[in-house]
Amino acid sequence: MSITVYLSGHLKSYTRGETQASLDADFATVGETLDSLWEVYPALRDRILNEQGEIRQHVNIFVGSDDVKRLKGLDTALMSNELHIFNAVSGG
Amino acid sequence: MADNTLLMVGTAKGLFLLQNDGNGKWSLDGPHFAGRAVYSAFYDDRKGRNEMWAGPVSWHFGAELVKSTDMGKTWDAPEKMRVKMPKPTKKSLENIWQIAPGSDADTLYVGVAPAALFESHDRGETFQLNKGLWSHPHRKKWNPGFGGLCLHTIVTDAKNPDDIKIAISTGGVYQTADGGQEWQVTNTGVKAYFMPNQYPEFGQCVHKIARHPKKKNLFFLQNHHGVYKSTDGAVTWKEIETGLPSNFGFGLTVSDNGSAFIVPLQADGQRFTPEGKLRVYRTRDEGKSWEPLTKGLPQKHTYEVILRDAVASTGNNIFLGTKNGKLFGSMDDGDSWKMIEGSLPEICCVKAYTL
Repeated sequence: MSITVYLSGHLKSYTRGETQASLDADFATVGETLDSLWEVYPALRDRILNEQGEIRQHVNIFVGSDDVKRLKGLDTALMSNELHIFNAVSGG
Repeated sequence: MADNTLLMVGTAKGLFLLQNDGNGKWSLDGPHFAGRAVYSAFYDDRKGRNEMWAGPVSWHFGAELVKSTDMGKTWDAPEKMRVKMPKPTKKSLENIWQIAPGSDADTLYVGVAPAALFESHDRGETFQLNKGLWSHPHRKKWNPGFGGLCLHTIVTDAKNPDDIKIAISTGGVYQTADGGQEWQVTNTGVKAYFMPNQYPEFGQCVHKIARHPKKKNLFFLQNHHGVYKSTDGAVTWKEIETGLPSNFGFGLTVSDNGSAFIVPLQADGQRFTPEGKLRVYRTRDEGKSWEPLTKGLPQKHTYEVILRDAVASTGNNIFLGTKNGKLFGSMDDGDSWKMIEGSLPEICCVKAYTL
């Protein structure tokens, strides 16, 4: 299955200007998908996850339209072929 | 205005680089890291290198230590962040508060939140957590202030690499005499009015310490209410508040002349310049007396806040930045001041260098 990951424009400096990535593989979870994404854009990992391997507080990841923080986080089953990574609207 | 002064001004919205042209005019370049807050910056000219360091923090994507080797034209963004809390700490980096040189040309120290010290002995290629401080038995009892639990001040000795002094809010002053293996708490005499025991061993909210340029054992300290000096190498402290309108404030610097400068704020619960006046206070007699410096500073309807790293000096040139985005400079050891910029974003740090 091909998965498309849509990325916040705020992350372009870590993706050589790209705002989406296509990943061709069978991923069971969000975490597995992200592990594959880091191979394409290695600099994304430290910006999306903290040192404890958790999704940063003000980063939101959606499978389809579901926020994975409200599900099982990185262990959330990949039940869509679209993953969205946004920065939260928090800020000053 | 003096020649060849570089200012690295970190703000809530990015880093600005300013240089004067020798005729009183300043150029401004920035914002670098637009949208990210910058609480720490450092210009490293040791061994003739021209390297700039900064610690921009994205509230979304984290804090990172970045470097420029072309005087700020470009900055790197390493795939793996340089400063990371080791996984066993079960902590994550929140902000970078201080970047300081070690006594040898290859050493850099970085102070961060959550209160920890990182060190590099290879010109910033790699950084390691200082385990001596991290394993200090006091650490788990330190408490965050409004700015987080931060290690915000690092004072090294150019002639003694084993001598490092740090300040933590809230924890207080700690120092090592063996390069960071063992750390001693040295808050004797410093008040913590917000605790039942007002003179505890640790837990003080020390906002800034600074060393006299010529007297190695003379230090000044701006506390969360309280201004102090130490004549024994930052071990014990004595109040020096005669002539001050308030003993609350954040920033502190000492010029090459040995003059110490602070900017008093009204009080903890009223964090703004007293009486609607922006006054820098200077002591030239090691704290026996303080004098207000007002020439060129606004003295009417002025309610400014000056943060802990927003008072800086190089030589006898003194600079301060306010949360309202005003940047002031004095090129005569504080006698007179001029506004350099008036509408920057909230100023988080000012770092001054003579090129």
